[in-house]
Amino acid sequence: MASTGKAVRPRVAVAKFASCDGCQLTILDLEEQLLEIVTRFDIVEFPEATSRHSPGPYDVVFVEGSVSAPEHLDQIKALRKQARFLVTIGACATAGGIQALRNWADHDAYRAAVYEHPEWIESLAKATPVTDHVKVDAELRGCPIDGGQLLELLTAVLVGRRPQIREEAVCYECKRKGIVCMVVATGEACMGPVTTSGCNALCPTYARGCFGCFGPRTGANAKSWSTGLLRSGRPPEEVWRLFAGFTGYAEPFRTVLTELGKAKD
Amino acid sequence: MIANPVSSPTAVARQWFLARSDLEALIQALRKSGRRVIGPTVREGAIVYDEIESAAALPVGMRDEQSAGRYRLTERSDDRAFGYTVGPTPWKRYTFPPDLPIATAHRVGSVGFDQAKLDAPALAFLGVRACEIAALAMQDRVLLGGQFTDEDFRARRKAAFIVAVQCTTSSSTCFCSSMGTGPEVRNGYDILLTEIDEGFVVQAGSPAGAAIVALLPTRRPTHAETGAAVDSVEAVRTQMGEPLPIAGIDERLKHQLDNPHWGVVAERCVECGNCTMSCPTCFCTSVTERSDMEGRTSVTERQWDSCFDVNFAKVAGGDFRSRPRDRYRQWLTHKFSSWMDQFGSFGCVGCGRCITWCPVHIDVREELQAIAPVIQPIERPVAVEPVAASPGSYSIARLASVREETEDTTTLCLTDLDPAFLAGRPGQFVMVALPAFPAVPISISRFRANGIDLTIRAVGPTSTALVNLHPGAKIGVRGPLGTFWPIEDAYGRHAVVVAGGVGLSPLHGLVEALVANRDRFESVSLFYGSRTPEDQLFREDLARWTAGKVIDVAVTVDRAGPEWKGRVGVVTTLFDMMSCDCSKVTAFVVGPERMMQASVQLLISKGVVPDRINVSMERHMECGIGLCGHCQTGPFFVCKDGPVFCLSELGDMYVREGI
Repeated sequence: MASTGKAVRPRVAVAKFASCDGCQLTILDLEEQLLEIVTRFDIVEFPEATSRHSPGPYDVVFVEGSVSAPEHLDQIKALRKQARFLVTIGACATAGGIQALRNWADHDAYRAAVYEHPEWIESLAKATPVTDHVKVDAELRGCPIDGGQLLELLTAVLVGRRPQIREEAVCYECKRKGIVCMVVATGEACMGPVTTSGCNALCPTYARGCFGCFGPRTGANAKSWSTGLLRSGRPPEEVWRLFAGFTGYAEPFRTVLTELGKAKD
Repeated sequence: MIANPVSSPTAVARQWFLARSDLEALIQALRKSGRRVIGPTVREGAIVYDEIESAAALPVGMRDEQSAGRYRLTERSDDRAFGYTVGPTPWKRYTFPPDLPIATAHRVGSVGFDQAKLDAPALAFLGVRACEIAALAMQDRVLLGGQFTDEDFRARRKAAFIVAVQCTTSSSTCFCSSMGTGPEVRNGYDILLTEIDEGFVVQAGSPAGAAIVALLPTRRPTHAETGAAVDSVEAVRTQMGEPLPIAGIDERLKHQLDNPHWGVVAERCVECGNCTMSCPTCFCTSVTERSDMEGRTSVTERQWDSCFDVNFAKVAGGDFRSRPRDRYRQWLTHKFSSWMDQFGSFGCVGCGRCITWCPVHIDVREELQAIAPVIQPIERPVAVEPVAASPGSYSIARLASVREETEDTTTLCLTDLDPAFLAGRPGQFVMVALPAFPAVPISISRFRANGIDLTIRAVGPTSTALVNLHPGAKIGVRGPLGTFWPIEDAYGRHAVVVAGGVGLSPLHGLVEALVANRDRFESVSLFYGSRTPEDQLFREDLARWTAGKVIDVAVTVDRAGPEWKGRVGVVTTLFDMMSCDCSKVTAFVVGPERMMQASVQLLISKGVVPDRINVSMERHMECGIGLCGHCQTGPFFVCKDGPVFCLSELGDMYVREGI
């Protein structure tokens, strides 16, 4: 039984680009399910867990991190060729991540300000999501990703169906959990209405406004939301910071930020 | 002795008094009866419905302030326990849970599906308001009233014991009085509390309720106490008034599916779903299958969903409601129109949650009134009784000032008039007489606080004599005479004024009235043609109307010198500037007969309906009161039955030669 199971186990690789490894850690955090996962999947590449390498092709490649350095450009294309399913995981891979904030800034000036020897640093002027470079088959959002969504995706791969992952506003999760809307009741700023669910309203559960780490949901009316935040008396700098979190480079947040940037100047 | 006083129609419902300090006894009696008590309690800055174990958890001395997109808790000056309105929690949370496993499935051995076992906890809802009872009843109709039923809901509904509370205050977002669901609780409860200064007036609405009341340390209420209870509910009704004119809105909405305002509200709406999730009647859900990694066993989980979700109406081939405006329309029309068709009532109870909890402050009441406004019966003014209305009789007016409009046209400002003239309407005229001159009809070009203006083109003996008068001269006047412009026919429509030459004179007062009431019209346009730039009347007013952009003004001239930078051509050449929906145009046309006929024909060809085209006819008049016969046209005396006519009244007489 075990041997036949092993024979058909899909080959899984985890790859890392510019990222903090937090999404890889989320995989390792699935402690109770880890044994079952490795029984059913052959994890052949996983930089956070093992230094072992194994060449492709792979059935599933999970890509963490944004395309941020010159060598990434070729690496992601090569990886795509080895992957049957390429799944981006986390805000960096799906939206560019926090490092994409440099896309609105002077890259060279930042580099000079941060590093003692900026000439040693090779980085692209813009940090971009993987989908700007290669075709992506599925994405798991979040900073970091949600373990439950990852399990659902793995299950879907095994069962042979689409993962059942909702793309609704975080507000839906707040309402189902019975969390009082802090925007209305206390005047807190929150990105929930324009942000994709999946975190089970993690931040609002702890009385903190959503900071949009799952990124804009399809059709998010970011323009109305930013206008409303400005109209509530918040200065453009504050609204800029709200949208410019981990997923600010994803549309339509990106347009809001570009327009707010113009308004600031 | 009456065997069963409850069933007697004359029996007054039995009432008790419960001291506020004995609320604890009620809560403990409910708990001892095996029920968990769900009641109001303060959490995260709001009064929510959660499980409570004692009266200490109640929001004593608290009240809520609510407006669109805003909720704040403040303190009351008393120690009332229910001195707030409704918070963010709908009771459906407990009768129709937001997350519910409804079935399991397996394919171990054979394939099987198993419905989840009904497991409805015995709950007592404490503090249910009239609107909320109505909402529970609405969900009863939706989920239990049809051919197919939701048995989980039925079990939870059955297991819920309802302690209702009369509202003794209301929020700015409340509109139960409009929806007919409150503020008074009339039925649907086991126990009903009305909070007064000293405690509660208590009624039982069911045997189960009476059984609990029997356990409480109650006494008979005084007349003052029962009176105070009745008065406090009535006070709320008065306080709330009629926040939303609701009658007929379901039918009106059916005719507004293409209203552009859906797009306007959709630009604000962020589709967060807060309105539907907070709504106590919304019942839409989605299911998700959660399986083990091999898909051998799965659980079907039902969750609250919302028609605002972008995936809600999707199929493999696309989305039936792809635009935000489609989804907003779906929600609002379901609540206020199609729900009526499906379930025989509105889908809204007027609790105002969707207003308060909308983070972009959308107020459904405002949107409904913008999209499907109540059509107010239009009050049509009645013509004032004219003075000096017999042959040879004139009232005397004094010429206050004379103003030259063009080389041959002059405005006379008359004052010291009979008040009847001041009560005239734009479109009416006066018969003007001077000794030794034949009387002439002159339209009133302007109404002033203390007089009227007559704008006169000097073409005959009387008009020439009139324009040569000096201030202070006395003039004979009869009027105001004839019909006037039906301004009200243009309410909510595009008002289009077409003037040719001195025809602007009888239209001038109309345009002033359109400008003064600009908000009542979708748009106001003036198309004005004159022979030359020098022949334009009321140039100062034209400049004012143009500069203020209050109305759209387009002018043309038949001929002009090189200094003229504007349009050249007859007035109908301006009509290509009409970009509005011509079926919504109400037109007012005056000018030379040929120009009016051409204008009318072009307006009709563009889709303006004859019912909405008004013309003022010029005919020979000597008396102005329908006695001399000069102005007879078909069945009409133009002086008395006109001069303002609706084109459909005139029929084909209008274009026929020689009538």
